[in-house]
Amino acid sequence: MITIELNGKQQTLPPGSAINDLLSIIGSDGNTVAIVVNDRIIRPDKRSTHLLQDADRVEILVFAGGG
Amino acid sequence: MDFLQLGSYTFSSRLILGTGKFSNTTVMLEAVKASGAQLVTVALRRFNRDQLADDLFSPLKALPGVTLMPNTSGASTGAEAVRAAHIARELSGSSFIKVEIHPNPQHLMPDPIETYEACRILAREGFLVMPYISADPVLAKRLEEVGCASVMPLGSAIGSGQGLATAEMLNLIIRESNIPVIVDAGLRSPSEAALAMEMGCAAVLVNSAVAVSENPPEMAEAFSEAVAAGRKAFKAGLMPKSSSAIATSPLTAFLGANP
Repeated sequence: MITIELNGKQQTLPPGSAINDLLSIIGSDGNTVAIVVNDRIIRPDKRSTHLLQDADRVEILVFAGGG
Repeated sequence: MDFLQLGSYTFSSRLILGTGKFSNTTVMLEAVKASGAQLVTVALRRFNRDQLADDLFSPLKALPGVTLMPNTSGASTGAEAVRAAHIARELSGSSFIKVEIHPNPQHLMPDPIETYEACRILAREGFLVMPYISADPVLAKRLEEVGCASVMPLGSAIGSGQGLATAEMLNLIIRESNIPVIVDAGLRSPSEAALAMEMGCAAVLVNSAVAVSENPPEMAEAFSEAVAAGRKAFKAGLMPKSSSAIATSPLTAFLGANP
């Protein structure tokens, strides 16, 4: 298993997990989220091929209420 | 028609609505619909699997004619705001970005230096930059010069309901500005929104006044009507002020008066 930091908390994943695998695990269809891995934005067309590595810092962001 | 022009976008509504602080998403959506707002603000937040209802992208995108304007709330430096803008554009699909950099949670006053630097970078990158600023005519002019689509000076502190405490400075900004001036923050009542429009603001941005009212959709509609009335009055031209009375009825040839 690998351990990543997801939105500031530790998350374990099977080695070779892509971003889409992570989205499935957390229950997001991925349509309304932005993904940032180690400060780089990962576009939707790269999510199935971008493999996560041990110690990656992943941010998954949504639009919430704000003024 | 009298459109609000922001970059290449035109809007018939001059009321911009924030989506924070509503009791739930359904009420917020009803308020957006009642307001007629075509530009609504949203904030970037971390995904939380236990609070999926916080995700407003789908419900807002389902509203016809609504464009999202993400803000950079949470950023305390220009670099953080630029990063947030890049992420927000990925999600929103539009170039609108409300640059909001307030490092001190006690007063939420915008940092003018970090705001200027972020706006300079983002305007150069092609964003439609809408900076939230203090009511500072010099800063407003500098932001116009670096290519901002508008300036959004505060009427008073965010969420304070203190109204147009900065009215004198707002007048200076409006007089000098060649880009739309949008009052953002501090408004409490529709009459204040009408006054801002009568002063010559191009639009107003309201959030708390609607969201925390007892009936947000009704208050949203009231703000919409006030903004439209204020705009109409501005365009019609207000009468000049006089320090003395000027009669509206004839004061001579009254009944029984001596010829």
